[in-house]
Amino acid sequence: MEAVMDAMPKPTLVIKFINPSVCTLTQNDLKTNSHFGNAKSGLSPKQQQTTASLLVGRLSSGSPAFPRLPIMANVAVTVETSGENQVVEVGYDGQEILAPPLTLAEHLAKQASKIDFEDPRDREEGLLRGDGSDDGDDLKDADLTEADETEDEDESDDPKSSATWPWEPVRNKLRDALTEMSVLADVITVATKECGKDPVTGNPKRYMVLDGPVQLEQGEGTGPRPYVSLLAKKKSLDGPAKILLAGAEHLKTLQSENKNNRTAQDFHFELLRLRQNWRLKKVLNTILGDLSYRTAGSQFKQSGVFEVVKSDENGPEGSAPPGAAATTPSGGHEDGSKGGAQKSALKVNVPSDLEGIAYIQVTIQTSQNEPEQLLSANLSDFGAFGANPPEMHWQKKLEAAQNVLFCKELFSQLAKEAIQLQAPIPHMVVGNQISASLFTDIQLIISLCHSTGSEKKGPARAIQSQLVHSHVLEHSLHQLLRLQHSRNINPDAPALSSAPIGISKRRRLAGPRAADRQSLIEMATQPTLLEQIIQQAQHVVLRLRTMFVLDTMARELKDPLISCHLGTLSSPIRTSVKVSIVTSGYDSILRTPLVIHVGEKQLTVVCKDGRVLHFSHEPQEFRDFIFCQISQHQINGVQALAKCMGWHVLSSSNNLGCGSVEPMGGATGCLLSNPAGDRFIAIRHIPPPQTSVWVSSAPCKDFYPGGVVKDRKWEKLPDSFQELRLDKMDGKNLLNKLELLMASLSGNDTPTIASNGSSFM
Amino acid sequence: MSGGSAGLMQGIDTLTWAMKSNIIPDQEYLLQGSILDTHVEVLKHRLRGLCDNVDSGQETFQEREMVFAIQGTSSQPLHLRIRRPLEQQAECPWQLRYIGQPELGNRPTLVRSCYDIACSDNAVEFLTELGCRLEYEFVAKGFLFRKGRMKVTVSKIFKTLPPNPNLMGQESLEPLLASHLVELSVLAPSGNDAVADDMKNFAEQLKPLVMLDKIDPRRHGMLS
Repeated sequence: MEAVMDAMPKPTLVIKFINPSVCTLTQNDLKTNSHFGNAKSGLSPKQQQTTASLLVGRLSSGSPAFPRLPIMANVAVTVETSGENQVVEVGYDGQEILAPPLTLAEHLAKQASKIDFEDPRDREEGLLRGDGSDDGDDLKDADLTEADETEDEDESDDPKSSATWPWEPVRNKLRDALTEMSVLADVITVATKECGKDPVTGNPKRYMVLDGPVQLEQGEGTGPRPYVSLLAKKKSLDGPAKILLAGAEHLKTLQSENKNNRTAQDFHFELLRLRQNWRLKKVLNTILGDLSYRTAGSQFKQSGVFEVVKSDENGPEGSAPPGAAATTPSGGHEDGSKGGAQKSALKVNVPSDLEGIAYIQVTIQTSQNEPEQLLSANLSDFGAFGANPPEMHWQKKLEAAQNVLFCKELFSQLAKEAIQLQAPIPHMVVGNQISASLFTDIQLIISLCHSTGSEKKGPARAIQSQLVHSHVLEHSLHQLLRLQHSRNINPDAPALSSAPIGISKRRRLAGPRAADRQSLIEMATQPTLLEQIIQQAQHVVLRLRTMFVLDTMARELKDPLISCHLGTLSSPIRTSVKVSIVTSGYDSILRTPLVIHVGEKQLTVVCKDGRVLHFSHEPQEFRDFIFCQISQHQINGVQALAKCMGWHVLSSSNNLGCGSVEPMGGATGCLLSNPAGDRFIAIRHIPPPQTSVWVSSAPCKDFYPGGVVKDRKWEKLPDSFQELRLDKMDGKNLLNKLELLMASLSGNDTPTIASNGSSFM
Repeated sequence: MSGGSAGLMQGIDTLTWAMKSNIIPDQEYLLQGSILDTHVEVLKHRLRGLCDNVDSGQETFQEREMVFAIQGTSSQPLHLRIRRPLEQQAECPWQLRYIGQPELGNRPTLVRSCYDIACSDNAVEFLTELGCRLEYEFVAKGFLFRKGRMKVTVSKIFKTLPPNPNLMGQESLEPLLASHLVELSVLAPSGNDAVADDMKNFAEQLKPLVMLDKIDPRRHGMLS
């Protein structure tokens, strides 16, 4: 019997009444019953369980010992104590570790502790109880009725000495138990009693339904066992499942890390490389970098803090060979082509206002009305691609952001200066554009172009600017700000170790050399960036104009030849041009050199004779001057040629006061005679190169003495001059023609003008 | 004439105003220490890493300092120092320097008033004419680093010996100690005490090599 009971899974019964108001039967009540059992028998829990099962068995089997109980349905209702033994610990695998059952001695001690030994009646009762407990063993076989009878006997003794009777509490408990058992029996009876059949389903109708698994599996006869075992199995499987899941999770992360190991290594590799080029610091869990120029001497307020993060999405290219990664930072350009193919393990987040591409555009316009662009320069021209591609290598991204910051600093400084500077024509700052006037009709426009990618920038301007691109102004703009940065960070070294730092060399010498107020003020003020840029732009305009004038003249004039040479070594605001005017074939006898210094607002010309002339920015002045120089060159050339030919220069003037008034300056001319003194050539040269040559001979062939000139000697005077048609003469240039002319007119045996010169008169 | 005097007065007014409004950097904040000659190279490396003039490297100097004293009305004689480069350079003026007494106060650094005036090379005669008496002179050779406003000088102090006929009349130098003097100084307007904290922080960076501290020479004199 016991073996059967052990084999049974420990059943639990949940009895739930449909109408809770009818009755509540709780586990505590059942416990009371078991107490009764325990108190009676002092059995081990297993035995108690057996006892209870037996009791139930009797109940269920409808033993005749329970006359009040009707024959019950074949439902085996097992009643037992709730927790067999106290659960000490529940293992991870769901195994419950139970406290060991009480030994007999322990149980006795526990029960004994409940007895009040102070009460003398109790002590007497102890003896009687000893019998009772002896009987307890027999209780297995004894039925409840017997117990009831004993109780009744006790009760019969009770009225006499209800207060003194020692068995009273036991009796009371037994009675309570009996009451409860009766109630339970009634309930079960009610629950199991059918009262007709359901007309629809045919199921038996009942007043009370026992809810729970018992009812569900009622028909199967096996009772709640499979379900309970399922629950138990589920519970015990729960623990191992959890352990396995945790292990699997761990393995999964390990595996994924293994997969990403390449990326992680790359990240640290790239971080190392990033650190070599950029300033980084760790703030809590984030890595921050600074791309501002502050350490290089900038005092711009805007911060250039960027964040370095691990690139979370790793594409299939993540496992690129390490060699490819190694080449990335050093060669920024080659990296650009690879950028699409290889995704970096590292990502940088730059502030949103530094994203995109910025450049500063410098435009020089002749006037506001007709924006004819003379020149435009771009600072870091990214015109072709407007926006940053989203997946840009960090190096390029940071460089672009740094460039944006640099442009912003440059522009803000220029704008600040434009407002502060007191110019005759005030500078204007409108939005992202500064306009300053270089000369009366020429404007310098500096604009900051910043494309953040989303917005479209003015394409026309970009294209226009790409057409004319000057590296000089671009470089100058870079240089000016960087120079200022470098001055900020590197003050002049103190001459002596004890001298204060940050004092310029000039200021240091100001005391011993007794500098005056004016020079001290000059030391204190430094030309601003805008002023310097304006100066450079003015110089650029002036140089371009000068070159233009010289080039056009050299192209148009063939008779004397103009060659000019611009010095390659020049400062941003000063260029020197060497001009030499020569006549082809006669450069050994005369060359007219000129040196032109192109400054910011004026030209300084040093002539052959050492005269220094200044010209304004107006190109016409310079043009006129070159024409005058050509005239002088021609006349001087003729004189030099005359010397070679043995002719005499009778007179020469660079500014002839006679003749018609020329539109451009005075005419230049000279008068020559042959060695014999009987042939004369007069040459007149007027600035838009135009030469007229006149010849005459002596003695005068048609001399008639008149009232005023009577003497015969005056017939030696030359004839009236006759103009030659130069274009009909042989010779490739003026000097060549005159050489031929002089050669023909030299000597006594030369043919007369009439016979020789008539051909071109 | 009147215009000139008016201009002069104006200049003095400006100067007085500048003095009053504390914009003239006339306070020297100073920390001093010393390092053995054998470890100077290590210090140099350390300073190279910490200081600003990385590109140009350290600036070396060789200077002679002459200390003159003149007895004024007070009991303490007034000390004036003339410093000049050992090898004369055209663009480097001499320097006349007045260093006041260290201020009392619980600051991390020594604070003393200090006036540097560039002067021409006849300053010695001028001072002698004034009645100053040469107290002592020495030669300092070393190098200089900058860190923002701070200046770090590491110099070795030499004693000058009288001209030696064996050395063709040239005076020879003899090192005073087997160590270098390290000075960290900032010239700032008075009341600018944040400087002192900066300097203390910087001195902490040099800690295991050099212990830069405020050293009061008067107290040392008393101790010895």
